[in-house]
Amino acid sequence: MRKKPFALLPISLVFLFVFIAASSARSDEGYVGSETCKGCHEAAFASYAKSVHAKKAIPGSPVNKEGCESCHGPGAQHAEKGGGRGVAIFAFGRKVDAREKASKCLACHGDMRGMEHWDMSMHKTAGISCDRCHSPHMPKMQKDLLKEREPDLCFGCHKNIRSQFNKQSHHPIQEEFVGRQAVKCSTCHNPMGSANIKAMIRADSVNDLCYNCHAEKRGPYAFEHPPVPENCLSCHEIHGSNHSRLLVRKPPLLCQSCHNVGRHPITPYTNLHSFTGPATSSKNRFFARGCLNCHGNIHGSSLSEAFIR
Amino acid sequence: MKTRIVVLSVIISFALFSNAYPQDKAIEGEISLTGVWVNVDGKEGGKAKFTEYRDLKEDGGFYGRAKLKLDTEKYFLNFNAGDFAYDTQFYKIDGGIWGNFKFDLFYDEIPHNITFDARTPFLGAGHDTLVGTPNTNVSTWNTFDHSIERHQYGGGLKVDLIKPFFFDTSFQREEREGIKPNGAAETSPGGRAFELPEPVDYITNNLKASVGYAQKPLFLSFNYFYSDFNNSDTSLNLPANFNAPRAFSLPPDNTYHKGAFKGAVDLPYNSKFSTNLGFSKGESETSIVSLIGSHYEGKVETKNYGFALTSNPVRLLDVKVYHEYYRRNNKSDDPLGVADIFLNYKISTFGAELGLRLPQSFYLSGGYKYARTKRNKKGETDPAEVLPFNTDNVYFADLKWGGLDFLEARVGYERFDRDTNYRTLESQGDVSRRFSYAAQNKNTYKALLDIFPLEDLNVGLEYRHRKIDYSDTIFGLRNDKRNEFETNADYVMGKVGKVYGYADFGWIEFDRLQQKTEGLPAPADWGAKMKDRTYGYGIGNEIYVIPKKLILVFQHDYVKSNGSVDLTLADIFFQPAGGAGLAGIGANNSNIDISRWDDYTLYSFKIKTICNFTKSLAASIGYAYERFKYNDAQLDNYQFAPTGGTNAAILTGAYKDQSYRANIIFGGLTYKF
Repeated sequence: MRKKPFALLPISLVFLFVFIAASSARSDEGYVGSETCKGCHEAAFASYAKSVHAKKAIPGSPVNKEGCESCHGPGAQHAEKGGGRGVAIFAFGRKVDAREKASKCLACHGDMRGMEHWDMSMHKTAGISCDRCHSPHMPKMQKDLLKEREPDLCFGCHKNIRSQFNKQSHHPIQEEFVGRQAVKCSTCHNPMGSANIKAMIRADSVNDLCYNCHAEKRGPYAFEHPPVPENCLSCHEIHGSNHSRLLVRKPPLLCQSCHNVGRHPITPYTNLHSFTGPATSSKNRFFARGCLNCHGNIHGSSLSEAFIR
Repeated sequence: MKTRIVVLSVIISFALFSNAYPQDKAIEGEISLTGVWVNVDGKEGGKAKFTEYRDLKEDGGFYGRAKLKLDTEKYFLNFNAGDFAYDTQFYKIDGGIWGNFKFDLFYDEIPHNITFDARTPFLGAGHDTLVGTPNTNVSTWNTFDHSIERHQYGGGLKVDLIKPFFFDTSFQREEREGIKPNGAAETSPGGRAFELPEPVDYITNNLKASVGYAQKPLFLSFNYFYSDFNNSDTSLNLPANFNAPRAFSLPPDNTYHKGAFKGAVDLPYNSKFSTNLGFSKGESETSIVSLIGSHYEGKVETKNYGFALTSNPVRLLDVKVYHEYYRRNNKSDDPLGVADIFLNYKISTFGAELGLRLPQSFYLSGGYKYARTKRNKKGETDPAEVLPFNTDNVYFADLKWGGLDFLEARVGYERFDRDTNYRTLESQGDVSRRFSYAAQNKNTYKALLDIFPLEDLNVGLEYRHRKIDYSDTIFGLRNDKRNEFETNADYVMGKVGKVYGYADFGWIEFDRLQQKTEGLPAPADWGAKMKDRTYGYGIGNEIYVIPKKLILVFQHDYVKSNGSVDLTLADIFFQPAGGAGLAGIGANNSNIDISRWDDYTLYSFKIKTICNFTKSLAASIGYAYERFKYNDAQLDNYQFAPTGGTNAAILTGAYKDQSYRANIIFGGLTYKF
């Protein structure tokens, strides 16, 4: 009885090989060739001819297979019926199931580098097909055949992220009159999925990601501020904030959210403690940069447990 | 200017050369030259904010761009460069042989301007030693800019020659220099606050390499990442008025190695198993004469692994189960046992998700995640400061409906419960609860609607609500509430043009309660409720006045944020006898609230005309206006040297007067070949 599970193994393997063989088998019936497609779809063909999909030097590219029909399927019936969007042809329309569309792309790109976590990605879970972001025929960005430049492409779906980036403190992803984008959404996120399932970041932890650009925060410091090495997001927003330095709240209230026992952290600093207010004591803990006026080395220090050196 | 002329001459020569062989269109590209005239009405902070991440000269300037593309059946080569000789200049060459390899080389710069003409009574801003005696005669102080410039260069190589095996490598070096604000107390503890010009003179080298095998059903890759960070300045040496140690520590040099393995294998029943294993070692070193010895060596190791099984055995069912583990182990050298804040932690996560395709075009997904965080500080001695453990339970569900050709709707809910295990009676008895560790219940709701009533018209609506209750917290952050509403639309009007727009509204509230236990006859409570109201909109259009010949572009964006803090103090704070000194300044609960809390209005519009004379030659001319109006209780009516005895301060002006108004006129020519 105990051997039964192992007895199933060869059977499973046979099924697997049959399945693989069946899926790799292809009938030549119904293919008409790209030249026939070009007859009616001149513009689409021209864009295809200029794209990487038409490079014979790339093994497995559509031009080395069935050309247009590598993605759109056999076109004989489509041609016989006189054409028409989606008539007897795979047309990547809006209503076509995302998985069916993705399967066409993944047939070639499924084992591409960077795709290894696609099955875990939130984009796949949310039913996002490749053609939501990529356009082989009318890309605005030739690199990766993107429909739009980042971040506009991402903002199309992630509207709340756009509103965060519009705030006064933000990473420079959409600055005007800047020669290049210093940071893109894809600098931090892999839209094809990553081992970090939900946020799809290109690192094993938030901090590891931030240290890529902010290596000076990596330390290790002699005096660590405990939340800092655990999660930058305890104090910082990721995309944008109304408060300078992408802070989630503004000091002193940010600091007082944790430091509320003993000495000056427990003092209520009010409007009257501002530069123009009448208060004469403890002013410097409120105005300008608040707590950071003294505790500047808040990410860590080699000298001071209170981060004042 | 010479650099600009040389680069542009090379590009123009290239363009002429390519046109000498018009039959060979393997080479194409474009060059453009744009003249920009800028007028900025703003003070030091405003001028810096206007150019926060850009280099726009007030007297005007010319900005060149060039793109070249060589594309043949076998190989390709691209060159892209611009903003020659400006602080935003960039150069990139990438190329390769199709199917064999790709390479790229790049150089670019970006500034981060914070405040121009900041001031300090000391000499030596930008260097590692400040000298002088602080005084309050601000007019005699020295000026400098709080500004940082990043210069990055590097390259990469991706080899596909031996497919399915692959090899990738890249190298990047970043040189960062400038000055940023930092703060130190004159005496320890307390005393005057000193905002200082911290010198930034960093070099970071990053090297990545990856080898692997990628052919279905198997993916394997071994990855290595090396990074070293070097700071030219170990410390900022402080003048004699500061108490010992008269040094301000700067980020120490560090090195970081990370090795990782990634693997994935396709399994029967449309399933896939993925794994990710990694380990890293980070070390830092500083020879600063410190409280903990003459030489500190920091060492942190991390280990992480993750496994995931995804399956789509039948069309109507998606399954995902996963486990992740991350551990940080701080092994820093602490010879005198003074630095007891070496944080160790480990996080274990288990999760499962299920997706179901239901009739009538419904898709229901949901899942559960369990995470446990254990953390401790090396050599924990104070039982009140022992960090707690957390247990998180997360439940979520999402329902999507696409039953109509012109509409897609989605609603979602997530519940996050965090339990906190205080490991000592003293830490459990602590009246304050730090929000990073405190028990919490978080509810998140979202609703999204995408409507496509016409082929070329898209309308999107989105609402999110998130509320966190810190259920066990009496003193500390008690709740955090956010509401966000967003909408956008775009419409392509055939050959006439296209219009697009968006609008956002968000409000955030934090509520916290605290108790002042010192300086009053008896402990007394005070609370603060922070509110942010932010709304924004943008509209734009492109009108094809003469199709393909004359295009009119208009864009307008607006963001307004209104922040406030509503403070409520117990009566005892306002009492003349034994109060907190607030009676002396005439404070009461109706005049202490803060109405200006990072309030700002950001307003911009741009109008631009593009004229395509021929397929090769185009001209554009335009005007842009930007306005940033900023008000804040902490920064308005700024004083560099506010008085107040030991509670006075010596400040540099960082972030002061950020408001600005700018007019930009621009025009240029683009030539494509």
